[in-house]
Amino acid sequence: MIHLKDVSKVYPNGTVALKNISLDIGQGEFVFIVGNSGAGKSTFLKLLIHEESATSGEIVVNGHNLMKIKKRRVPYLRRTMGIVFQDFRLIDKMNVYDNIAFAMRAIGTPEKAIKKRVQYVLGLVGLENKEKHRPNELSGGEQQRVSLARALVNNPEMIIADEPTGNIDPKLSHDIINLLSEINKRGTTVIIVTHEHDLVREFGGRVINITDGEVIEDKKITTKYHPDDDSTYSLPETTTNENADADTEENKTDDTAEKEENNE
Amino acid sequence: MKHFNFGYLLKEGFKNIWNNRMMSLASIVVLVSCLIITGAASLLSLNVEHIISSVGDDNEITVYLDTDISDVDAVKIGGEIGKIKNISECNLYSKDKVLSEYKDTLGNLYESMEGDGNPFSNEYKVRLDDLSKYKETVKQIKAIDGVDSVSDRSDIARKLTKLNYFVTFVGFWVVLILAIVTLFIISNTIKMTMYSRRFEISIMKSVGATNAFVRIPFIIEAMTIGLISGLIASGVIIAIYNPVRDAASGIVAFIATATVPLENVWLPVLISFSAAGILIGTLGGFISITKYLRKEGGEILGW
Repeated sequence: MIHLKDVSKVYPNGTVALKNISLDIGQGEFVFIVGNSGAGKSTFLKLLIHEESATSGEIVVNGHNLMKIKKRRVPYLRRTMGIVFQDFRLIDKMNVYDNIAFAMRAIGTPEKAIKKRVQYVLGLVGLENKEKHRPNELSGGEQQRVSLARALVNNPEMIIADEPTGNIDPKLSHDIINLLSEINKRGTTVIIVTHEHDLVREFGGRVINITDGEVIEDKKITTKYHPDDDSTYSLPETTTNENADADTEENKTDDTAEKEENNE
Repeated sequence: MKHFNFGYLLKEGFKNIWNNRMMSLASIVVLVSCLIITGAASLLSLNVEHIISSVGDDNEITVYLDTDISDVDAVKIGGEIGKIKNISECNLYSKDKVLSEYKDTLGNLYESMEGDGNPFSNEYKVRLDDLSKYKETVKQIKAIDGVDSVSDRSDIARKLTKLNYFVTFVGFWVVLILAIVTLFIISNTIKMTMYSRRFEISIMKSVGATNAFVRIPFIIEAMTIGLISGLIASGVIIAIYNPVRDAASGIVAFIATATVPLENVWLPVLISFSAAGILIGTLGGFISITKYLRKEGGEILGW
């Protein structure tokens, strides 16, 4: 699903954002990316969606070789993933339904299919009664659910969430990550960038720590959920996980992407 | 992307026009002005060509006699004109008849000129058999004693040709400059629309929208502005065509018959104006959106 080998990113102003990163993330993994501000987490995500190109190395994401991908193919790469932003990025003048439907319209889905799918994802995120509301009539948590619904609506193979809980209160943060965890249990790969270590401890999964542009830790932690008392989450047992169930994408090339594109 | 939800894109394009109504209005005003000037120059040129052609085809010339020629001498001169080989018809118009015609057209201005005060001379309306011998025949008529002058239609044709050339030349540059200004204004209108929707464009790009999908509503917006401008401009031209033609006929009488009637021009004007409006609009929109998408439209803003 995601394969990075010796990936470096140096910005034109000379800033070295990532240094020789190598990792694999397989289908269905639940991954937290942690690290301080400026550590390179956002650059890492930008490389995955080809918002930025790597300076050197190998990157394959969902069958697309990002070192060779043509500009016109980037939309097809992005259709394999859903992105959740910290600031929700909802369009104020559209209601909840249209904000979600927008993502399907943008890839040319017929209205009938849009209606069915949007209602389904609204149910999934628990907002089935809010479809006529505008974003400014919703709480932060609800807005992030809409954002999540929009990311899910095209049935992506992977969800990338950049600080999804950064603008919402802790209780709602828990709900959002819980929702992402539920989505992951249905088989979607979830990659979450976060600062909130409590949430990482609470939900566990694979944790990749990026510091100063390097992966300094990549481990799988397990956790136990106690629904009666939020404070009793056990600290995770830590196990080093060098290979992290990686389903490497080495054999997938841009040709696969072309086949996907042709099948649309 | 093999198919688009075209109804949605169409709706978005129309919404853009309303949301940026001031800039849309500015574009329409400039484009309408440009089209009206273009249309006026083209129609003037068309009519001048038509007049030139009808003047060329007209084998009637007027022979003016000296003012002091008596009616009897005038008849004699008529006999001499009639003897010239290329003349098929030769009719006398007495100076009284000429004055009376002027009075009919221009009213009381000529009331006091009757009798000895008549400023006109006797004249002959002469028809030629062969227009190619025009110059030669005119020379022969001029040689007759008592003939003052001969209306030289070839001179009018030459003057009209010069006017036509002038109209075409000036019209071309005016239209070219206006077309560039219009393109600039339309592309700026589209740029403003894009700027106000850059956030949406950014989200579109993040969910995998292709450039074509992003581009279509803006192209529809520009095309619609062009079409509306074309329709307004052709409406204006069609509305003022006959009044202008009538006014010109009041100055030079034969314009009424020598120009192209409205029935023959309104449809070509409507079609060509609409097509020109759509073309300029689409081109302006396309330049702008393509430039934007190449430079910054692919980025996910603020991330």
